[in-house]
Amino acid sequence: MYVIKNAWKNVIRSKGRNILIGLIVLVVSISACISLSIRQAAESAQEDGLENVEITGQITVDRQSMMQSMGEAGADRSQMKEKMADMEELSVEDLKKYAKSSSVKNFYYTLTTSLDGSNIEEVSTSDTTSSDSDMQGPGDESRKGMNQGAFSLVGYSSEDAMTDFINGTCKITDGEMFEEGTTKKNCIISSELATYNSLKVGDTIKLVNPDDDSETLSLKVVGIYSNSSSTAGENGISTQFQPGADPANQIYISYAALADAVEGMDSIRTQTNGTYVFADQDAYEQFKKDVEEMGLDNTYTVTSQDITSYEQSLIPLQNLSKFATYFFVVVLIIGAIVLVVINIFNIRERKYEIGVLTAIGMKKSKVCMQFVAELFIVTIFAMVIGLAAGSAASVPVSNQLLQSQIESQQEQLSNQEMNFGRGNMENGGGNRQNQNITKGGFMAQTVDYMSDISASVNMTVIIELFGVGILLTMLSSMTAVIFVMRYEPLKILSNRS
Amino acid sequence: MNILTLQDVAYSYEGSKKKVFEHLSYEFEEGKIYAIVGRSGAGKTTLLSLLSGLDSPTEGSILFKDKDIRRIDRYQYRSKYVGIIFQSFNLLPHLTAVENVILSMDVSGMKYKNKKEKAMELLGKVGLSEDEARRRVLKLSGGQQQRVAIARTLSYEPEVILADEPTGNLDKETEDEIMGIFHTLAQEGKCIIIVTHSQEVAQQADEVKKLSCK
Repeated sequence: MYVIKNAWKNVIRSKGRNILIGLIVLVVSISACISLSIRQAAESAQEDGLENVEITGQITVDRQSMMQSMGEAGADRSQMKEKMADMEELSVEDLKKYAKSSSVKNFYYTLTTSLDGSNIEEVSTSDTTSSDSDMQGPGDESRKGMNQGAFSLVGYSSEDAMTDFINGTCKITDGEMFEEGTTKKNCIISSELATYNSLKVGDTIKLVNPDDDSETLSLKVVGIYSNSSSTAGENGISTQFQPGADPANQIYISYAALADAVEGMDSIRTQTNGTYVFADQDAYEQFKKDVEEMGLDNTYTVTSQDITSYEQSLIPLQNLSKFATYFFVVVLIIGAIVLVVINIFNIRERKYEIGVLTAIGMKKSKVCMQFVAELFIVTIFAMVIGLAAGSAASVPVSNQLLQSQIESQQEQLSNQEMNFGRGNMENGGGNRQNQNITKGGFMAQTVDYMSDISASVNMTVIIELFGVGILLTMLSSMTAVIFVMRYEPLKILSNRS
Repeated sequence: MNILTLQDVAYSYEGSKKKVFEHLSYEFEEGKIYAIVGRSGAGKTTLLSLLSGLDSPTEGSILFKDKDIRRIDRYQYRSKYVGIIFQSFNLLPHLTAVENVILSMDVSGMKYKNKKEKAMELLGKVGLSEDEARRRVLKLSGGQQQRVAIARTLSYEPEVILADEPTGNLDKETEDEIMGIFHTLAQEGKCIIIVTHSQEVAQQADEVKKLSCK
């Protein structure tokens, strides 16, 4: 078609002006490419990521809700205390009952207790250990059932429950894992504990109830594991006064074996936790309804840290996506304004040409088409180059920006931590462990931010980018259309004469 | 046969009640050269604008082959039936002579086997050499540009050619050459209507129509 042919010739003829237009479109398209890629990656991460995250949930006492309703009913502190004392975690049997819901993909449970060492000592950064009599303060009888042992014993119903081993944080380095479901008193210990106490596979360790020296438990070490998160204080938890919380002092055993062992210990404190595994978020939501129908009391609630954690991990990405969107809109608006202005000057310059074309019989609509085609040709070229440049830059730029967002988020949390006297305190004082807390402190350390996204250019981004190009062309050529339609050839040519 | 007919045509400029001319009734036949003369301000160029469809009369009607031109698509009218040669040529300066002629062919939708060849033929017919035909019009003289303008008009074989002071900016020799071209075209059956101040040009016309000032 001659209109396109003429448009092409005019593009070649006016190189200077079209290079300028091309540069503006290039900047807009590179910005658009990166912004759209980031948005696309953020959306994909949100939609697909949750499908890939194993959603687990627990049934826990809803103390907050209970206190709120009691408060509204006018209950006083003693009544609330009495009520809280009556509240118990669900038993294993109850937990198993709810696991029968069709929404549950898998179910596992753990039994946790804490004991002191009899022939072993806990790994500790403190000068005192559980074996020191100084540790036992006055009024021991009244504090029965309240003493924390130096070691945490965790009994697992199945290997599915041992998430640290599944995600690679822990690995068996010597010996083997205890048998699933066995009642044999076999256990695995951390490599730090083994080294500290010169233990090896096959040795027997003796543990004692911190509240009753007569209640003891002997376990055979069948395996030794390494724990990549076993540096003291790394998680910001003060382990000086809770050595059992130190990963090095955690002893793993089968649930059946531990349940059998503690049965004979009257005063021992234990905690049972059940974890339900769901296929997806819908199944989790369905489970919440199912347990209500199955008779779960309203003092209990179903919660999931996975969804919350996942949503938390997306915060920097969502912030980045918002920023990218705003940036894209601003660049688009500015680009469109500049192009409109350039086009206005362009049309005014070519008024005579419009007059001649219409005088020799070219329809105004075709004249408009020619101007739009010229702009479109330049835009297409600039968009293709912008797409190539944007594709190359989108991944490194987006990861860099995301990293900045994460650092900003961590900085914010770190500042909050410092308000509580935690965080980097260079001038001495405070707990030694606190100085080991890295940027972001305890709160940020518990959130695994999504730090690497695949903000690469895909077909959706390409289509969106060319949509932007067409929009830009239409917006900026609108002025051409308006002016051409208004111009009368006679007036133009008379004025020129 | 009358190819163009003016029936009681009057015109006044937008916003003005004063009429440039009124009660104009003319008839133009094929194969003749007409000269429209008159003093400055009589409305000669305006009349040409009306005949070409670039403007519309305030009263009366203009018929092309007995059909009111207001009922004909004015772009089609100007690109197929009527050719306009302007006093200031009104060529596209960034194009060559050949390209200006080819553009006119494209606009009118004329189908030639080889447009470039046809354009060169037309330019040759009006006295331009091949070398001159390939030059950008800015690099051509006034007379050469006027020839290009004529060739552009001929590219779609219009039945009527309207020329506004076609020799106004040219020397006597070139004027004679241009008028020679018009005579040839008239002999081919075209209706040539020339607006002119020149007595010599008017004398070469088959019929002179005089416009007087109001």
